[in-house]
Amino acid sequence: MPPAASLRLPLLVALLVGLPVFWAFPDELPCLRGTAIVTGWIGCGLLLASLLLMVREPGLASWLGGLERMYLWHHRLGVVAYLVLLAHPLALAAASWGEGPALAWAILSPWQQSWPGWLGWASLLCLMGGTGAALARRLPYGAWRQLHWLLAAAIILGLAHLLLLGLTLSLVWAPLLAIAFIAWRLLRSDLGLAARPYIVSQVDHPADAMVEVTLRPLDSALPALPGQFVLAAFGSAQGFHGGGEYHPFTISGIGSDGRIALGIKALGDCTRNLQAVTTGVPVRLQGPFGTFLREDEAGPALWVAGGIGITPFLAALRQGPLTGPVCLIYLHRDTRDAAYSGELRALATHEPNLRWQEITCGEGLPDLAAALPAAEELAGHACYLCGPPGLIEAAGALLQQRGVAIRHIHFERFDFR
Amino acid sequence: MMRRLFLAGTLLFWLLLSALWLASRQSEPPLADIPAPALRTLPLAEVARHATPADCWMAIDGMVYDLTAYLPDHPSKPSIIEPWCGREASEAYRTKTKGRPHSPEAEKLLPTFRIGRVAQP
Repeated sequence: MPPAASLRLPLLVALLVGLPVFWAFPDELPCLRGTAIVTGWIGCGLLLASLLLMVREPGLASWLGGLERMYLWHHRLGVVAYLVLLAHPLALAAASWGEGPALAWAILSPWQQSWPGWLGWASLLCLMGGTGAALARRLPYGAWRQLHWLLAAAIILGLAHLLLLGLTLSLVWAPLLAIAFIAWRLLRSDLGLAARPYIVSQVDHPADAMVEVTLRPLDSALPALPGQFVLAAFGSAQGFHGGGEYHPFTISGIGSDGRIALGIKALGDCTRNLQAVTTGVPVRLQGPFGTFLREDEAGPALWVAGGIGITPFLAALRQGPLTGPVCLIYLHRDTRDAAYSGELRALATHEPNLRWQEITCGEGLPDLAAALPAAEELAGHACYLCGPPGLIEAAGALLQQRGVAIRHIHFERFDFR
Repeated sequence: MMRRLFLAGTLLFWLLLSALWLASRQSEPPLADIPAPALRTLPLAEVARHATPADCWMAIDGMVYDLTAYLPDHPSKPSIIEPWCGREASEAYRTKTKGRPHSPEAEKLLPTFRIGRVAQP
């Protein structure tokens, strides 16, 4: 990512935090009382930024460095906002500590509050529950998603807390912006107003526990490129029930008529269910997202694919021809797992720039030291990694050991939880 | 990393809150009432002479309060409370934030600032 582009996101966060703090800064209050007010507004600003970063718009995602980067910052800012907002009531109590512990407790005690205090407490507890649930990785996806509503409730209750405390006109934009970000996400993404209608026109099973669906656009097609991914919500038809929830899938093929192919491995409840999808099922697509394979790097490239991680490279090869020499290393557990092997072999015969190697590595981590090229062969290469997180970490570390600079190693973790 | 921060922050918050509650249980009640008969009688004209944030008296429900020391601690923005300095503020006190009364905490706190009774005309 160019340095200028990488600065956009932190600058935007600084703006969304700095503006409310600037407008609400208490000039003449004692230190701790002022700290309490400032922590409240810093927390609000961080939550505002976190809310903006959950908006899924391809243009915004591209401008801010990708959806994955936005989600990473969304999570980090949410946790930091929570911690700063915990300090807000504690600083309020500390400001009254000099007048005695009883008064300091009375500032916080829910039994001695009126509506602004109760709403503040309710907001903080919702934020606590929602943040805890968002960080609970073992929580089933459905429950995890539902508990996110606690965070939305925390925002609304927090806004009511502010309004009842007497929000001045110069700060009204902050709650309005927060509501706008929530509504934007809800309407455009969750309710699918930004999505385009497609229909499953073809279903293939290129390997065990894997399906490739080809989607035909029913309206204008998404302007997708190899390496990108879409958010797809499968509907119901002919006995198949897709559930209608949006999940990310990497594009494995792009047709000249706007068709999009998605290679889907059975890795969870949703993807297991999708193995039974049939033609005629309606699908709604949002995107495209991601900059993988679009980095501005000339010269030779090394592509390392693990299992289903072959899909972005396959999309590029299917679209062909390659503009420079590429060495593709395709790692899979066993031959039944080796999706698209035959097609890759056929593509390689027509693609003089492609040198590829298929490695069956069984269970456990593959022998990357033997699989990856030696240091002298990697000189001047841009490296692209796609596969399970363990493989990406191990391959990335090994490539760095062999002299590849981190800026030439590209990958997407594809982790939106 | 984020999960550890969340757990540490949450734990610390509840520990501090519990410590504050325990400390409040062991301390003397600070909000002792001032006996009303000992108060002087002050006309509203006298109250009106104390109409700045640096010297702020208010008349509320027949009593006069010197709220100068409290103004910096008031939860709302200064622009909401300061215009009431030097004035009869009973209605504003009872109907803050769209008609809602002040909290029980405020009711306990207010008598500590009492300095007199409003003189009857």
